[in-house]
Amino acid sequence: MTNTTVLGKSVPRPDALDKVTGGKQYPVNVVLPGMLHAKLLRSPYPHARIVNIDASAAAKLPGVKAVLLPEDVPQRKYCPVYFVPTLAPSMVQDMLIMSNTVRYAGQPVAAVAATSAGIAEQALELIEVEYEELPAVFDPDAAMADGAPEIHEGAENNVAVNPVVAFGDVEAGFEKADHIFEGTYQTQRVHTCYMEPRVCVVDSDTGGNLTVHSSMQHLFGLREKLAFVLDMPESRVKVIKPAYIGGGFGGKLDIGYIEPVAALLSLKTGRPVRIEQTRYEDFISTTRNPIKVYLKTGITKDGRFVARYAESTLDCGAHATHGAEVINVHGMFGILLTYPCADQHWEGKTVYTNNMIGGGYRGYGSPQGAFAVESQIDEICEELGFDPVEFRLNNSYKQGDPHPFNPQAKLDSYRFQDCLQQAAERIGWSSRTPAGSDQNVKKRGIGLGCQPIWVSGCVGFPDIYEHSGAIVKLNRDGTADLSTAAVDIGSGQITTLCMIAAEELGLTADQVRMTYADTDTVPFDAPSHASRITYSAGNAVKAAAGEAKQRLLEVAGGLLEASPDDLEVRDGMVCVKGSPDAKISVVDVVTRAEAPFVVMTEEGPQPTNLAEKGTIIGLSSMAPPANPSPASVEFVEVEVDTETGEVEVLRVVFAHDLGKLVHPAGAEGQVEGGFQQGMGYALMENLVFDPDSGACLSSDFLDYKMPTAVEMPPKIESIFIESDEPTGPFGAKSLSEPCVTVPAPAIANAIYNAVGVRVRELPITPEKILAGLGKL
Amino acid sequence: MKQLINLEINGENHELAVEPQDSLLRVLRENLGLIGTKKGCDTGGCGCCTIHVDGKAVYSCMVYAMSVQDKSVVSIEGIAANDKLDPLQQAFIDAGAVQCGYCTCGTIMAARELLATVSDPDEEQIRHAIAGNLCRCTGYQKIVDAIKLAAENSA
Repeated sequence: MTNTTVLGKSVPRPDALDKVTGGKQYPVNVVLPGMLHAKLLRSPYPHARIVNIDASAAAKLPGVKAVLLPEDVPQRKYCPVYFVPTLAPSMVQDMLIMSNTVRYAGQPVAAVAATSAGIAEQALELIEVEYEELPAVFDPDAAMADGAPEIHEGAENNVAVNPVVAFGDVEAGFEKADHIFEGTYQTQRVHTCYMEPRVCVVDSDTGGNLTVHSSMQHLFGLREKLAFVLDMPESRVKVIKPAYIGGGFGGKLDIGYIEPVAALLSLKTGRPVRIEQTRYEDFISTTRNPIKVYLKTGITKDGRFVARYAESTLDCGAHATHGAEVINVHGMFGILLTYPCADQHWEGKTVYTNNMIGGGYRGYGSPQGAFAVESQIDEICEELGFDPVEFRLNNSYKQGDPHPFNPQAKLDSYRFQDCLQQAAERIGWSSRTPAGSDQNVKKRGIGLGCQPIWVSGCVGFPDIYEHSGAIVKLNRDGTADLSTAAVDIGSGQITTLCMIAAEELGLTADQVRMTYADTDTVPFDAPSHASRITYSAGNAVKAAAGEAKQRLLEVAGGLLEASPDDLEVRDGMVCVKGSPDAKISVVDVVTRAEAPFVVMTEEGPQPTNLAEKGTIIGLSSMAPPANPSPASVEFVEVEVDTETGEVEVLRVVFAHDLGKLVHPAGAEGQVEGGFQQGMGYALMENLVFDPDSGACLSSDFLDYKMPTAVEMPPKIESIFIESDEPTGPFGAKSLSEPCVTVPAPAIANAIYNAVGVRVRELPITPEKILAGLGKL
Repeated sequence: MKQLINLEINGENHELAVEPQDSLLRVLRENLGLIGTKKGCDTGGCGCCTIHVDGKAVYSCMVYAMSVQDKSVVSIEGIAANDKLDPLQQAFIDAGAVQCGYCTCGTIMAARELLATVSDPDEEQIRHAIAGNLCRCTGYQKIVDAIKLAAENSA
């Protein structure tokens, strides 16, 4: 392991003081002089053509400054996903800011900007829209059937994308199988539930340049998409980096309707325009796509995978958005690459319906796959009498194996087996009892779920951006400023990146400050997503800090009359290695570098050294060298009440292979928060829609149920298996998303172990358990 | 039709012109610039806007500003005393209980009512006290740790 002085120790988050005293810097707080407030009028119908819109009465309402209708917006079709080039061939460009065709209930059809949000809301009520209703379809299988309503012209059977991936010869593989297992696993539509709503303020100047504040996960993606949909050069759009945002989890990874609408209203009025979504609007703006997985697996009698066939049907709703990419990540990392198997065939279908649009969400297709794969492994082990831990150990990739996604690379730092063994021991796996053997009314059970292969960013993925940049500048007080486009979405990117810069510079964590950035001033960065920041942005920050440090040593070398190679930075001093007295403070070096060239002395003006002049600064803009895989394993103990069907999670042990552990408290926070999301997915969360009108019925937190402090288990135990990832910053790779992926299968398998009921459809509600027990 | 009202907020009196339907949340944020109180849903479901009215933790989005004229309102901006953070604020920092932080102020206000009435709360009391405050980042574990720590530090 790399020796470190800053990394590996928990520090207070630099943003915590601001947040506990009020948190002034969220985008939701941005207020500009003369700012207008806009509201969107949304269609009550799931599928309709707009025959006529009359907004004349709305426009006359005192306080209304502008109205926007479909005829006023550029009709440029786009894909809203931030992290791909706008016209990426692997994605689907099927959206318009506003259209005369409505494809889901809640689609915006008009907007009003007024001097207050209240006036804008009143004005919406004065807009008369005449719709011609069209037949709607909400079920993806029905949408693919002959005669189904056509949702997008040219999308045959309403299929947006249809990837097929195969390895080996799946039919030959099944011939080698001694046992074949089949099952269909269905996941539901859930919301990321970021707490800060999507909100933006867009201002325009007399030259038509835009300045954008928004609660989002990607500055450069927003700039690119906004420029495209408005048909203007990118350089005329400046996106300001928020100091932090109130959560994202993937739900703010695509341009919403609000930014283009606010931009157009600002261009129309010359004033800044703010749009804040209501919670109802947030609930219908982004979701984890529901996927139905048919999974067929061939097993030898000694418990080896020999063949796997899978079909995944993803309901993307009215537009493909993320669904065109989620399906691929799901197929690869959710199913095909999970465990070695020579002969595999998978087909995915992303299907249009008149449901709400989908978005990104931690795991990005993997939770839907893991629920199928990990549940089925449990079924296989139960049927054939294998121990589920041993079975996975026997079927897993091993450290040093070629990387299954990128075979030129090796799984150098891969520690899946250690995760399995250490977590199994911690939970007390050896004392687990057979399914349903608990004789109490409330029965206990233990289950596990795994994410054997995941990513540290997106290197190797077609069409996905993956590079980062950073600027590190030393100040004359001995501190450093770090500037990067990587947004802190709550998970501690500021802390992690400042720690990495401090480690490289030889400073303490609190001597590095994350400072201002916007798209005009810092290098391009991919979004805060895909478990990528520690690894990818961390590598870029380390490189920029390394460049600044090199310059620091060069200047110090001139002053100490030593070679920069013989110098090191320790405790705020640049020292000659091995000569503790030959040193100069960082403060003095940085001050000297920025001091006037000619210094007045008692002997008169004295020139110094021109070569030492200039701010000590480092810059990087680079792709990360690889995409190392972490692995994770979770064991859960539950208690199921066989009278009520209620499930209580008693204990959770999570083990993760993350390379170097950078910030222990931050890493634990990812695991603990990830479990809340995964447990909600497993047991309760569900966006529910009226089957006739397509209207969202769970559009606030009174109807959309997610775990509170009371439902959560008393303790989530994290085991971090460290290793030295050779391509990572100080040996680090990634964490984040597997924490959300593994809980659902672990809980489902624990419920089976407790009561012998297998539920293949999430969420596992008390009703489904009671039905499985024959009590409903 | 706006009406003039008097509110006592964080120990100061304010004369304000408000609409009868204005929530206390709206008045705090928009009339007084007290933006530490957050809007997460505006429908009484998330707890981000929790404040104290006469020492009781309430959702400010569910309270009309006009209805609290004779009461004492305290928001997150009013709990640090003499330039010293409230023990809960300090404990949230020290226990690593802050991630995105959007729920943090509301949760601190909910926990503050608990600690004002129970000096040494057990885990169950803590969890019930913040059951009306949703957090999507932390899984609540470090929040519970922070509240325990604040109770210890206040003892």
